[in-house]
Amino acid sequence: MKPIISLQNVAVRYKRSGNIFRPKSYYEALKSITLDIYPGETLGILGRNGSGKSTLLRIISGLIQPDQGKVINRGVSVSLLALQAGFDPNLNGRDNAILSAMLQGHSRQKVQTRLDEIQEYSELGDFFFEPVRTYSAGMRTRLGFSITTIISPDVLLVDEVLSVGDKHFKEKAERTMVAKIQSQQTVVLVSHSHHQIARLCDRAVLIDDGISFAVGKPKDILSLYEEQLKLDEV
Amino acid sequence: MENNSNNSQLNKTELPSPEQAFEWPRQAMCEQNWSEATQRWAVLRKAYPNHPATWFQGAIAHIEAGDLQQAEVLLNHASQHFPKHPNSLIHFATLNMRKQEWSTADDLLQQAREEHPDNVQTWMRSAKCAEGLKNIEQAGEYYQKACQVAPDNQGPYIQYAELAMRNEQWEQASERWEILRDHFPKNSAGYHRAAEAEYKLNQPKEARKLILAQQYGSDIFEENKHEQKHAEKNKISSPHTNVKQLLELVWSKANFNLQAEVHRNYLSYAWWILEPLLHMVIYYIVFGLLLNRGGENYPVFLLTGLIPWMWFTKAISSSNSILAGQHIMLQVAVPSIYFPLVMLLQTTIKQLPVFILLIGFVWLQGYPPEAHWWGLVPVLIVQAILTIALACVVAAITPFIRDLCYLVPTGLTFTMFLSGIFYDYKSIGAEWQDLFLINPMAFLLKCYREIFIDGIMPDLTTLAGWAIGSTISCLLIIFAYQRLRYVYPRIVME
Repeated sequence: MKPIISLQNVAVRYKRSGNIFRPKSYYEALKSITLDIYPGETLGILGRNGSGKSTLLRIISGLIQPDQGKVINRGVSVSLLALQAGFDPNLNGRDNAILSAMLQGHSRQKVQTRLDEIQEYSELGDFFFEPVRTYSAGMRTRLGFSITTIISPDVLLVDEVLSVGDKHFKEKAERTMVAKIQSQQTVVLVSHSHHQIARLCDRAVLIDDGISFAVGKPKDILSLYEEQLKLDEV
Repeated sequence: MENNSNNSQLNKTELPSPEQAFEWPRQAMCEQNWSEATQRWAVLRKAYPNHPATWFQGAIAHIEAGDLQQAEVLLNHASQHFPKHPNSLIHFATLNMRKQEWSTADDLLQQAREEHPDNVQTWMRSAKCAEGLKNIEQAGEYYQKACQVAPDNQGPYIQYAELAMRNEQWEQASERWEILRDHFPKNSAGYHRAAEAEYKLNQPKEARKLILAQQYGSDIFEENKHEQKHAEKNKISSPHTNVKQLLELVWSKANFNLQAEVHRNYLSYAWWILEPLLHMVIYYIVFGLLLNRGGENYPVFLLTGLIPWMWFTKAISSSNSILAGQHIMLQVAVPSIYFPLVMLLQTTIKQLPVFILLIGFVWLQGYPPEAHWWGLVPVLIVQAILTIALACVVAAITPFIRDLCYLVPTGLTFTMFLSGIFYDYKSIGAEWQDLFLINPMAFLLKCYREIFIDGIMPDLTTLAGWAIGSTISCLLIIFAYQRLRYVYPRIVME
């Protein structure tokens, strides 16, 4: 089977902008990442805080290009599923839902036909028509996740979303995600939950200090990751 | 018999029903505490000597406890008293199987199969015996038979699948677990044991699916199928590559913004008109009354300059729109030009009613529309293209040089004074006039006044020049935005 997305020795360097009092400096978010994503698989990404996971997702999703190395996307659509951010607080839930789905590449007409679905899933009731600035954090999360239920890109990048909301909604969201993962959907999952990675992923990759440290079966990678965490504590 | 007489006495003192009483030793059997079970059955044999279960089950407990001799004693007794009972054959067979005397067991079971084909245990034991004789296929058939005899009983289905597992026939096992799942979807063995078989078949994905189905219910697979159907219909097109998609997005966002803005303010739509009016009143007081520079029909003169200028200045002043959109840019691949375009469209929509009012006002002041008013069309188009080009350029540069945010308002104020909004360009020195009109806004305001007040056609040649110039700028800036596609998400982050 051919990978649908390949990363070869990818490196990303962010510039810390300078001003007249401070010179420019660079910060290497990713040093060398080599990674293949195969169709239909669920790939787990593990790594400590600051190891470059978010930057890696941005690279995979094609939002930014690497400074070194190559990213090969063999014609697949990629969406980053991250909640809460990207909402306009002044717009109501409905408008935000429409815009979010449109930004993901759906036509307005198509979104409109599935608005009821989104509203029902979000369990926001009449709050769906109130400005998002009046929402609680939980409500925002619910809205954010509801939109994703109608989005099905070729590759879905999931950043820690399975651990949000109240218990009831969390279970519901998890169920929806599991259903997506079990279908032919290709998923890249970033999670700190060992349980989730072990249960949901076909393969896992460990990112350490901007380097793709190891790729393999979730069980092996998880034990490697745990060893790393132990070393940290010492 | 001594036992019998005891029993008749006991019977009179209201024994619990056998079903209730038998729970007690059965519990011990469930816990696999066989010695305890033998003792309990021994007690119950005294109480219910005419009940075959006390003998047969007692014998089973003894077999399991390893006391085959005592088991044989009980079974002999039972088979004498209950000769027709299927268990006597079956349990004798079990005893023999435990003794590894397979052929004897097989003979007994052969008889049982003939005499008691409706008893599920006949087939279950036969299968065990066949397996003991290494006749796996035969064992499988017996288990199938057991499933037919007792379709509501999970045991035969499980044993049927386990047989395949024990013999490492993983594919058969997988099929058989599926049969169990079909009949008893709640039985967890159908999932986790099947998952083990899938692992052995090197199908980790299937295995995971089964474990998840156990947790979330097997209808989760149905949801997929539904979603997959949707997915085929949901072919998505990125606003990066699809211009229609981008324009639709810009239109929607601008509309939503305006609606939200209107809902927030007390006077809502009225502000769209009130704001330029207030500006006009201020300029009228300062220039018309205090400085006495107005002259005839100063309000008309002022408005024909002020209203087109306000459209321009509002569109340009939202220069940091790309920086403001960083949350979106770091999540979805949206073209950066989306952000200035939304601001442009939004301000333009707001200016539309003001323009219509301007036309009405001019008319009421005694300048009725005539043929030369057609000149408004090219003037408006040129102003639109020019505004788009300039607004996009300013918005494109600001993320690189953020200090530009502070310079833009100053620059706009400077341009405002140089565009002749509250004074006529003819009032400046003749040698400066040509230079003054190089400023496109000064030129456009001159055109508006020529149409509305002077009643003549504007200078179409110069207009055409500006049209071509700003169109080329527009195309260049669109090209620049495409080239900078991957740069902006990083710039806004850094």
